[in-house]
Amino acid sequence: MSKQKWIGTLFVLALMLLYSCQNQSPQKEGLTVAGPVQFAADKAPFPKLSDYAFFTGIQRDLQPNEGVLPYELITPLFTDYAHKSRFVWMPKGAQASVDAEGRLSFPDETVLIKNFYYPADFTQPDRDWDLMETRLLLKNKGEWQAVTYVWDEAENDAELNIVGDIKPVSWQDEKGHKQNIEYIVPNKTQCKSCHNRDGVIEPIGPKVANLNKALRYPDGRTENQLSRWQKTGYLVAGDHGQQFAKLAAWDDPRSGSMRDRAMAYLDVNCGHCHHPQGPAHSSGLYLQVDQSDPTHLGICKPPVAAGKGSGGRQYGIVPGQPNASILLYRMEKTDPGIAMPEIGRVMVHQEAVNLIRDWIAELEGNCN
Amino acid sequence: MKFIQIALLVALCAACNSKPAAPEEPDTALYNDLQTQLINAKPGDIIKIPAGTHYFDRPLLLDGVKGVTIQGAGKDQTILSFLGHKAGAEGLKITADSVLIQDLTVTDTKGDAIRVQDAKNVTLRNVKATWSGGAKASNGGYGLYPVGCDGVLIDKCEASFASDAGIYVGQSRNVLVTNSYAHENVAGIEIENCTDAEVRYCRAEKNTGGILVFDLPNLPAGNGKSCKIHHNKIINNNHRNFAPEGNIVATVAPGTGMIFLAAKDVEAHHNEVIGHKTMGAAIASYHITQLKWDDKNYDPFTYNIKLYNNRFERKRAIPDLSKDFGKMVNVYFKGKPQDILYDGILDDKKPKGSNPMNICIDQPQNGLRFANIDAANDFKNIQTDLKPYQCK
Repeated sequence: MSKQKWIGTLFVLALMLLYSCQNQSPQKEGLTVAGPVQFAADKAPFPKLSDYAFFTGIQRDLQPNEGVLPYELITPLFTDYAHKSRFVWMPKGAQASVDAEGRLSFPDETVLIKNFYYPADFTQPDRDWDLMETRLLLKNKGEWQAVTYVWDEAENDAELNIVGDIKPVSWQDEKGHKQNIEYIVPNKTQCKSCHNRDGVIEPIGPKVANLNKALRYPDGRTENQLSRWQKTGYLVAGDHGQQFAKLAAWDDPRSGSMRDRAMAYLDVNCGHCHHPQGPAHSSGLYLQVDQSDPTHLGICKPPVAAGKGSGGRQYGIVPGQPNASILLYRMEKTDPGIAMPEIGRVMVHQEAVNLIRDWIAELEGNCN
Repeated sequence: MKFIQIALLVALCAACNSKPAAPEEPDTALYNDLQTQLINAKPGDIIKIPAGTHYFDRPLLLDGVKGVTIQGAGKDQTILSFLGHKAGAEGLKITADSVLIQDLTVTDTKGDAIRVQDAKNVTLRNVKATWSGGAKASNGGYGLYPVGCDGVLIDKCEASFASDAGIYVGQSRNVLVTNSYAHENVAGIEIENCTDAEVRYCRAEKNTGGILVFDLPNLPAGNGKSCKIHHNKIINNNHRNFAPEGNIVATVAPGTGMIFLAAKDVEAHHNEVIGHKTMGAAIASYHITQLKWDDKNYDPFTYNIKLYNNRFERKRAIPDLSKDFGKMVNVYFKGKPQDILYDGILDDKKPKGSNPMNICIDQPQNGLRFANIDAANDFKNIQTDLKPYQCK
């Protein structure tokens, strides 16, 4: 090769490298998987997400494989505005039952799959994703295990990660504002700090009350999720939707009163820890959707161990006075020593803050 | 030729990577190594943290594995700094039985330095928790913070500059805090809603309040009882109160040695309670806080308190004026610091008598300043006579 050719080659190489430093535009190809789901709970977790074949074809497209059923929640957990796609897989012939609280009780070998991603432009959520992580809850011999897989730079595949990670991500929100954060991937122990009931790992979302909505499925049909689960064989027969009050959608005024929506938000975002058998039981603050005891809800309740999280305020909630309520103060802050929830967010969920603020402003009574 | 190509490629690749790590950048490699060891730990494992100051941006967590030891190279050799905390508020967060943490310092956490929750048989030995910027309301609440535990030993530990309590044991049973040193916190050592606790051979110095025994409402652990406080040096706790309002310790008046608030079955003896400008010891029911509670099972009263053979030496100074309790001392005692103040609030359900709450004080020293301040009746009938409280 002549010197000129070398330099030319180098130049091209350099350009290619520089280009690879830029934000990547979506590629037309990537790691592709064919064949059925490969899962055995006693051998899991596998090293790569693709090892399970939950997704068929190009992995980054998250197209569910045979038996991998998408689901959505009426009121989901907030995670720094990340978009999430959720799926459930069960072995043939197995199905979930419903417990007295309306929680789904899943059979062994169930997998719950949750993908976290950021569309480059939130007004076009189905295009140009930035995949962060895919979390799995795997049930083996009656016990859940929580694991997460972090997607590689090229978004070909995701690799098992137990220690957590910090990944910078940016997007343009619905209002056209550019957002940049350091997205936090939790470590394995932190998964349990939310997914925890009496020290045992438990799913949070899948309850009858929170699944009872219509969804458009990949086959083009729109159908209530509970009935689709039953048709698929994933849920025991019965009219569960009648038995348990449907959760309000926190952001949809048509779905319930201000109180219903505020309580739904607190239940999903706080109630898994702030529960008599949850990790925050020692606080005495319990935020379940059906909480009827005003003190446990924080109304006129002094803080226990809030430290600077009190913000100099006297009570969890002061009726009619959002700016005197510790609960709202902790939602409005991002300092890890103040912010609630303790993990899973580095941003303020402004729309939820507005809802809780309006709800507290409407509450009647006082703490004198 | 080849060399140049490689150099060019290397240079181009380097342009893709972020800047080299500055010394205060988090030591992610060590963090990942330690957190991986903690996640994969087997019962009985010893996880060693090398000497040096290590910057971490996330907490270290241990969950569900019995008998793990987390060991530094020495209290002043292994320093874990959380100045760059990005997520999770604690330094160490432990939910595991029979854990032993020793020979290290945790500094500058955004929240609590070391939190151990819902565990049996917890030992902290030669451990220090502090905040390097001094006394600030923005410091984390608690230094050493076992909560909801059964079997707690805190031995040869140190805690300073916590915005709530340096050493705080909450909602726990079978607690021993010994040979430890708490200084320049709002509360030095605090025992809250505990049953069977003991604090002995400790130094509580230059805090706002030295040693506190509290019982608070609306907590799952319910009422605590039985606490022994003896052979401690409780010295010069006159620090300004820098706790954020809303926290119960924000009501503590600077210059307070000991407080027994809604406490039951407490014995305090052979303590040196020296150099306090407001009061050596306060015995009070929860009513004194004027906070409301809504907890049917809560017992707000203080009873069965024994104070004997302590040494009280007051500071010659004007009592605190920053908190209500200090103002009260100034108003009703003409600016004279007091040794023992009792709020005199009685539980109507107890048998009537001169000492229905069974407060016993045996402090034969000249010039001891004692008062029952009759708080229930707006201090109308303050009594300084110790006779009703003679130990039987």
